[in-house]
Amino acid sequence: MKKLIIAAIALVAGAGLLSAQNRKAVRLNEVMVENTASIVDDYGEHHGWIELFNSNFGPVQITGMFLSNDSTRPMMYPVPLGDVNTVIAKRQHVVFFADGQPNKGTFHTNFVLTPGQDNWVGLYDADGTLVDQVVIPAALVTDQTFARDIDGEGRWAVRTGEGDNYITPSGANIIKDTNNRVKMFAEIDENGFGMTIMAMCIVFSALLLLCLCFYAIGAIGKYISRTNKIKSTGDDHKDREVRAATAHDSGEEIAAIVMALHEHFNAHDAENTILTINKVKRAYSPWSSKIYGLREVPAHTSNRR
Amino acid sequence: MSFGDFLLNNLRQFWELTGFANAEFGNFVMLAVGLFFIWLAIKKNFEPMLLVPIGFGILIGNVPFNTAAGLEIGIYEEGSVLNILYNGVSAGWYPPLIFLGIGAMTDFSALIANPKLMLIGAAAQFGIFGAYMVALLLGFTPDQAGAIAIIGGADGPTAIFLSSKLAPNLMGAIAVSAYSYMALVPVIQPPLMRLFTTKKERLIRMKPARAVSQNEKIIFPIVGMLLTCFVVPSGLPLLGMLFFGNLLRECGVTTRLAKTASNALTDIVTILLGLTVGASTQASQFLTPQTIFIFFLGFMAFIIASSSGVLFVKLFNLFLSKDKKINPLIGNAGVSAVPMSARISNNLGLEYDPSNYLLMHAMGPNVAGVIGSAVAAGVLLGFLV
Repeated sequence: MKKLIIAAIALVAGAGLLSAQNRKAVRLNEVMVENTASIVDDYGEHHGWIELFNSNFGPVQITGMFLSNDSTRPMMYPVPLGDVNTVIAKRQHVVFFADGQPNKGTFHTNFVLTPGQDNWVGLYDADGTLVDQVVIPAALVTDQTFARDIDGEGRWAVRTGEGDNYITPSGANIIKDTNNRVKMFAEIDENGFGMTIMAMCIVFSALLLLCLCFYAIGAIGKYISRTNKIKSTGDDHKDREVRAATAHDSGEEIAAIVMALHEHFNAHDAENTILTINKVKRAYSPWSSKIYGLREVPAHTSNRR
Repeated sequence: MSFGDFLLNNLRQFWELTGFANAEFGNFVMLAVGLFFIWLAIKKNFEPMLLVPIGFGILIGNVPFNTAAGLEIGIYEEGSVLNILYNGVSAGWYPPLIFLGIGAMTDFSALIANPKLMLIGAAAQFGIFGAYMVALLLGFTPDQAGAIAIIGGADGPTAIFLSSKLAPNLMGAIAVSAYSYMALVPVIQPPLMRLFTTKKERLIRMKPARAVSQNEKIIFPIVGMLLTCFVVPSGLPLLGMLFFGNLLRECGVTTRLAKTASNALTDIVTILLGLTVGASTQASQFLTPQTIFIFFLGFMAFIIASSSGVLFVKLFNLFLSKDKKINPLIGNAGVSAVPMSARISNNLGLEYDPSNYLLMHAMGPNVAGVIGSAVAAGVLLGFLV
């Protein structure tokens, strides 16, 4: 019963962690309130849209989550069941059209965003827990978006669509064409000294830490075994302690002592000399047949004989 | 179309599909390399468990065929059998499985009994970063240089794991280079060990290691994993599996699992890893000037790693009392190459003093080298991805 309870607790904790790692990491990423020139839906119409970003490094199913534009009604638009497109791949995006026409498909909400006023948008998990929220300022004009500067984590800012200020429905808010870390190392540490110093320090620290830790564990182990030895002999005299502390019990010494005793007593293990032969019967099967089986694996022989 | 034309056309089409019609000079070069590896393994007994699968894999990967025919047989053709098996290399999940087996096979007692030997394993990792600097000098980008430099860790699975993340296009050359030099450890290391040590140093006798309790052996993988992975979380796939395998071995209640991990599982993954790494060396991908540089850098990395291990012991000895001196012949074992480099320490030690067995002492830095190279790989991954 106790084991069952522990297993159940572990399972619940595990499930909680899984949930935390998945749906809780879905983020509101970019929102357009009034759309006249950005993307169109499957019907060729322009509507305001809300982009979600899966910040996990694994896919996440968003079925049963809720989108809302009213904080007093968190469960306004449930993401419907049964659509394979509701699985967002790792570090990818989906766009919901806020057109108030949910009968048009999974990605059409039952509410609209209103231009000229602050629009609150919230994302809730299936149990009603708030996962993410944002207030889109009233000042946002037509065909502009309010977006995070880095996918899933950055600050929110207005994007006009001009210059580097891209509008990116279903796309990354920062378009990466290089690995910035590699670029930084190539520019600042072109001969590799920096990397070598840092990396060797880390490798040494990790192994030094392990080394110190095992000196400590070894010392504790020695202390415990010494204490146990003294306890078992019933003698806690200081001399005994000192002798125990300085005693060597290396494998070589033990082997030498055992060998000497063996020689002295000419001792052998008493062996049971009764030999019993039991008949073993196995049903014939061609799968285990020696006739059809492979022969012995050839052993390597040197040419030098 | 006459019946004769029909026969001729079909025979011509068949000819165009054969290896003879599609063979290029590069294929024959690589086939020769594959045969050389197999010869090294069988005749010279150099790492046969690795070189036979890799050598035969090179043969498989370099049988020429018409790639435009869409036969889905090549290792780089999505959906082919070889491609599916290669996924373990390209996605990097074979190396952690090998590490699980290494953990389940390795007795860390020598290291636990004498923890200061861990520092030799750390020092030998300078081979990786020395090679990194040389690679940058030769014009490789930092991520490519990191992937190539890891050859200096003398640890095939780690090299494959890291190169699959940092420079997948160089992985074939890096893997073959790493395994080739590991096979050549008995040739590369002894001259360096002789060069950097005096006769007096080679005769140093080390105190026998103390007996290690089972509790310490159980604590080691748990504490080892937590400490190293807290420092370098990016080493988690390798270090996590290494220490997990060791816990299976030492805890005493999972003997069956430890046996499977150290025998059947390791053998299966070694076969698949070796064969697919070999097969990934298709001449068109492999025979490039970069490959020559990679082999040169791998050689450099091995030399630097082995030398820095030996020299570090000499330096370390300056701070140790007379009865606690370390024989510098075990410094080379700081590169992983388990247990080959430890055996070399032992053999060389016996050459100068037939009763001075260094094997158990050398196993300490040897397994520390495995941990060190996994940590170094984690550092490179953390910095460059």
